[in-house]
Amino acid sequence: MSSRTAITVNRPRDEVERLWHSDEYRPAYIDDADAAVSFRTAPGDRGTEIHVDLEGGTTGGKLGEVVQKLIGSAPLPKVKDDLRHFKQRVETGEIPRSDGSPEGEQAQRKLKQRPAQPLSDSEAAKAGAR
Amino acid sequence: MRANVWSGRNTVQVENVPDPKILNDRDAIVKISSTAICGSDLHLYDGYIPTMEKGDILGHEFMGEIVDVGRGVSNLRVGDRVVVPFPIACGNCWACRHELYSVCENSNPNAGLAEKMFGHATAGIFGYSHLTGGYAGGQAEYARVPFADVGPLKIEDGLPDEQVLFLSDILPTGFMGADFCEIQGGESIAVFGAGPVGQFAIASAVMLGAEQVIAIDQFDYRLEMARNRAGATDTINFDEDADIVEQLKVLTGGRGPDAVIDAVGMEATDSHGVLHAAERVKQATRSESDRGGALRDAILACRPGGIVSIIGVYGGLMDKVPMGALMNKGLTIKTGQCHVQRYMKPLYERITKGDIDPSFIVTHRLDLGQAPDGYETFKHKQDECVKVVLKP
Repeated sequence: MSSRTAITVNRPRDEVERLWHSDEYRPAYIDDADAAVSFRTAPGDRGTEIHVDLEGGTTGGKLGEVVQKLIGSAPLPKVKDDLRHFKQRVETGEIPRSDGSPEGEQAQRKLKQRPAQPLSDSEAAKAGAR
Repeated sequence: MRANVWSGRNTVQVENVPDPKILNDRDAIVKISSTAICGSDLHLYDGYIPTMEKGDILGHEFMGEIVDVGRGVSNLRVGDRVVVPFPIACGNCWACRHELYSVCENSNPNAGLAEKMFGHATAGIFGYSHLTGGYAGGQAEYARVPFADVGPLKIEDGLPDEQVLFLSDILPTGFMGADFCEIQGGESIAVFGAGPVGQFAIASAVMLGAEQVIAIDQFDYRLEMARNRAGATDTINFDEDADIVEQLKVLTGGRGPDAVIDAVGMEATDSHGVLHAAERVKQATRSESDRGGALRDAILACRPGGIVSIIGVYGGLMDKVPMGALMNKGLTIKTGQCHVQRYMKPLYERITKGDIDPSFIVTHRLDLGQAPDGYETFKHKQDECVKVVLKP
């Protein structure tokens, strides 16, 4: 399985790097997974590319393997979730929530969607909605 | 609130569900005054679109009154009357900034699912399976509208619902189909499918200056509407003569239409017996999802160097596409789910100016509670049905 993925965020590179390292936007899973993260200016008017390599970290991916054993699910989809959340929050100010996925994009949600109808009050509170 | 939900193949039912609430700052809640059943809803009804769940609220063509707004919405106020576009678009990503709203990069919280099917995710859509995000749809009394500062169009004159409701989807879709044809004035355009989208594609091609607009369908009542209300100059009923390609050549002096619009999509009636029968078997066993009858004829009929404009909805995989014809005739394909937000304002202006009155397609008006009957009537084209509007 591939260990690398990338996403492009529609903002200048210095802003993207600053937000990535800020307390408010730091992506928790990618940080804990000890992956190699690099930034590149995207061509034309497209913004900044963020590249993540799970095997490029200081432990050569071993920490990631341990994390995977503990969590019990493949790391790359969770890395992608983190990247998507970062892009959504930076570009739009929020994480899109649907009725099927009220917490926003989550790899483990893919097989267990809520039906596409409104949440009850307690469900909405649990999903962390404002 | 009452809502029309998917309950399995060929089954919808109106149930009581919780009212929607604000989940994000850029949300608004709309109290729905009118909504409709779309031809693409039938693909969900017929079971051809994967990732549906029992209880999913359907419907993506709706309008009404704002009853609540999140803190991030300053352009809309409670009481505003709005039409809501079916693609959910953030307005900030590269795609939205280039007016490609139906492929917004940020609005689909099931992007991982969509990527598996399409290679990349596309925008969230109201009421259109979990592939497009699992958003509750608008065949209901209320709907939550994300990114309400980007999508909804304010209606500020007193035009009745039926004249503006279709700005949500099918009028812009038909218009985009005609827009794709690059009409300069004087062209011959063939429109496959005289359903609601086809009717608006025909009317749009006429508005944009095409000289000849040929409507193709198998139902005379739809072809009559195309000619008398939408402005088609010629009609072909392929039930009477299945060779559409030849008939189009005769109608265009042997040249073929300059552009063809596919307003049919994945549940095409194929006029060619054996291939059609084989496709229906494959669809039944789910080994092929999309029937290509209309698209194949469109590709073969289009004049060399012409444009194939595909606005009929396809969902998965199709066999036997005439790639040889496509490539050797040098055709251009333009396609996509409609970028509704791009077209709403200019089309609203055309309506207020009197260039077009979209309400001509409405043939049935039902209470929301009768939605199941509405689906059956629409699916089987009973009672000369063209478009069903539901009132919550």
